[in-house]
Parts: sequence; C-alpha cells; structure tokens
Amino acid sequence: MLRIDLASRVPVYEQIANGLRAELVSRKFSPGEKLPTVRTLAINLGVHHNTVAEAYRQLANEGWLELKRHHGAIVRERNHPEAGPDTMERFTRPLRELVAKGLADGLSPSSLAREMIETARGLEERTAP
Amino acid sequence: MINNVPVNIRTIVAVTIGGIAILNAAILWFMPRLTRPDLYFAVTVPPGFRDGPDGKVILGRYRMELILVSVLAFIVFVAGNVLIGIGFAPAGPMIQIVAGFIAFYRARNRVLPHATQPTMIREAELRPDKQTIPGGWIAAAGPFVLVALCAGYLWIHGSTPVHGLIIYVVGMTANLTGLTVVRYGLGHWVRPLYSGGPERTREHQFRRTVAAIVLGAEYYMVIQTSWLILLLRHHRLISLGLFPLVLVLILVVILVLARLGQGGSRLAATEKSLTASSVAVGDRIPDRYWKLGVFYFNPDDSAIIVEKRFGLGYSLNFARPTTWGILALLLIAPLVSILAHVTQFLPKRV
Repeated sequence: MLRIDLASRVPVYEQIANGLRAELVSRKFSPGEKLPTVRTLAINLGVHHNTVAEAYRQLANEGWLELKRHHGAIVRERNHPEAGPDTMERFTRPLRELVAKGLADGLSPSSLAREMIETARGLEERTAP
Repeated sequence: MINNVPVNIRTIVAVTIGGIAILNAAILWFMPRLTRPDLYFAVTVPPGFRDGPDGKVILGRYRMELILVSVLAFIVFVAGNVLIGIGFAPAGPMIQIVAGFIAFYRARNRVLPHATQPTMIREAELRPDKQTIPGGWIAAAGPFVLVALCAGYLWIHGSTPVHGLIIYVVGMTANLTGLTVVRYGLGHWVRPLYSGGPERTREHQFRRTVAAIVLGAEYYMVIQTSWLILLLRHHRLISLGLFPLVLVLILVVILVLARLGQGGSRLAATEKSLTASSVAVGDRIPDRYWKLGVFYFNPDDSAIIVEKRFGLGYSLNFARPTTWGILALLLIAPLVSILAHVTQFLPKRV
C-alpha cells in the first residue's frame, strides 16, 4: 500500500517515488510485474497524473521501472550499483533531519537506532536472493 | 384515456409533478442524515458533530426553512400555472430544487464555522482491485442490441417516418453511451476513500449498487421508449400507467441507497477495521474544492467521478475535460429531440 501526505513539505512526486522505491527494494513486486497505470494511481491518490508520471520517470531513471507507452510501468530486474563517494553523503543528510525530528518528538536515541537496524535488516532479508 | 375512462391531462400532470415534488421534499428532509457522518451540509466536521447540540440545532433550522421555502415555491408554482397555464408545470421541480438549495446553502453557512481540516493522508492499493462492477460487456451491450432490434423492426415495416427513426436511434444511442461511460467510470475513475478494511468493502458494495441501478435504468429506458414507439406505430394510446411506475421505481432506488448511506457508511461493519485509514476525517478533500458545496472543481485531481457531499451517489469533477464530454453525451439525446421537433416547424423550401 502506498501512503502520501498532501500536507507534507516533501513534494508529492517524491513521496510517491520514495514509497514505491520502498516496495521495490523489499521485493514486493517481482521483475516483469506491472505497477498501476499512471491514471489509476493518480485517481486513487487524488493527485494530478503528471505528478505520478514524474515519480515513475524518476524510478525509471534509477533503473527500477521500464516505461512503455500504452503498457504502463513494468518492474525491471535491477542489480545493486556500487556505492559511489557521494552515496553516503546523500544518505546521511536526510537521515540527520529525520533523526533530529524523532528526537524532537521525544524518541530516545537507542529506540531510533533499534528501529533503523530492524528496518534495514527487514529490507535486506527480503532483498536477499 | 385509461380503460376507456377519460383522464384530464391536467390531472395526470398534477399527479406526476406532485409525486416528484413529494419525493424531492422527502430526499431534502432526510439527506443531512444520509451523508457520511463527518460531512455535514457538504462541510467537513469533527466526528460526532452531527449528533451534538450544535448539529441538531442546525438541522432543526434547516428543516424549518425547508418547509418555508417549499411553501413559497408551491405558491410560485400555483401562480405560474394559473397565470401562464399548464406549460408552466414542468418548472415545478426546478423551483423546488432552487428552494431546497437556498435552505441547504443557509445551513451550510451555519456549519462552516465548525469546519475542521479533512485528513490529508492519501492511500492507494498497488495491486489491482479484483472486485468487479456488475454487468460485463454482454450486459452493457444489451440495451444497444434492443435499440438496434427495435429500429430494425420499424425500418422493415416502414410505417415510421425516417426522421422519427433517426431521432430514436441517435437519441437513445447517445443517452446509452453516456450512461455506459458513467458505469465504466464507476469502475475505473472513482477514487476510493479507503484502500482497505471493512470501509473499503462497504464502499465497494455501494459502488456496485449504483452501477447496477445505472444498468437497470439503461434497460428500463430502452424498453419503455421502444414500447411506446411500437404502441404508437399500432395507433394505440399510450398507457399512462407507465408514469406512476417511474415514480415507484425512483422511490425504490432512493430507499435502497438510503439504506446503504453515502458510500455504504450506514452499513454495519462485519469485520474489525485493520487500516490506519479508518480514522480518516471527511472525504480527504479540502472544502475549498467544493464550489457552493455541490460542484467539485479540482484541476489537480485526476479523478473524474467523486462521491457527492450532499446527496447519495456520485458527482463529477468539473475541472476535467472528460466530464464535459460525458455531460455532452447525456445532453445530446434531448437536444436531438428538441432540434428535430423544431425543424419540423421551419418553413420548407419549395
């Protein structure tokens, strides 16, 4: 299930891409499977279809999807890329913001760390062949 | 003439218009209680507001004003009939709708200070919905086949004027196409408010019921129109019993929908809600997109068909071009009839 918050400061297309990426990383969709069409997903989320199309394009550029005219978005087999020098930096910046938000909302550092490890392990288990 | 008893046309018109007026009045009277519980007079309100003291006071005033404006509308209607004649009668339901809208709009203004922000969380199921809308292609093709059969019969026997045949075929095809598009839209263009849980099931049940009603209306429309044309061909008088039958059928439809409540919200839950979405307030649409509380206009929403906020069933997103295409299809039928009748009275070239 995909969940977005229209009141969030994060652009909607980015929320959609992030949500779908999480589903794809955890292998909930096998290569060759179809995602909902742009129009269907836009209707169900109550957003403009260009917003969903933008999210799909982003995922296609990352190699997750293959976009075919009149055939929708098809999940691709994707090999894990080698982490580049700026990969960790791109990961750390939003993570810092998220952790700060969690701490500000009263969560303890240990519970945040535990949650993060469990989430990563859960995804890793599903990703493992 | 019914069973050889002369019937005054004024009586028939009065009974039909009166029946429609009573139905309209009943709908307007009960409607505030049939919508989703956190939508009151098309405004998003906190859960429980409707049954609270403020909600009850607003409802009481709405109903009192509804009676007053209905009486005024009735006086205008009677005066119009006396001064202009029986031709004014069809304006009756329109006057009543305007009167009802005044009462609704005033009640809506009283609710607005109590408005709350609807849930801005949106959810979507990524797997295709396996539940289908009733009436596959075979059921959908039925009314079109009936029109073709009737037109073929009339053509072969050659007693119906060609322009009459064209009006019948074009009008019926346009109307049926419009309704078929609406029914297809119920399956593909409606945004579900809930992506899972019992709320989703009830929503789907409501949608299936509305789709079945639309399909039934298509068959009824074709059968009645074709029947009337065939009766006229055989120079028989139209059975006036058909008009009250329409009212009875409309009443049955209203009762069925009232039993379900908007979006199936009055059905008892048979399973426990498991989704976070069940705590959603409102229909996840900010109030500002509902112009006057009844017209949905949201260019950023790809949905073409959305649940009504004050009423049972669905409304259209007037910001989408497809909506105007559907409306054009539904308007072609009466326009074709009117144009065809008007052109008969135009001066002919010699």
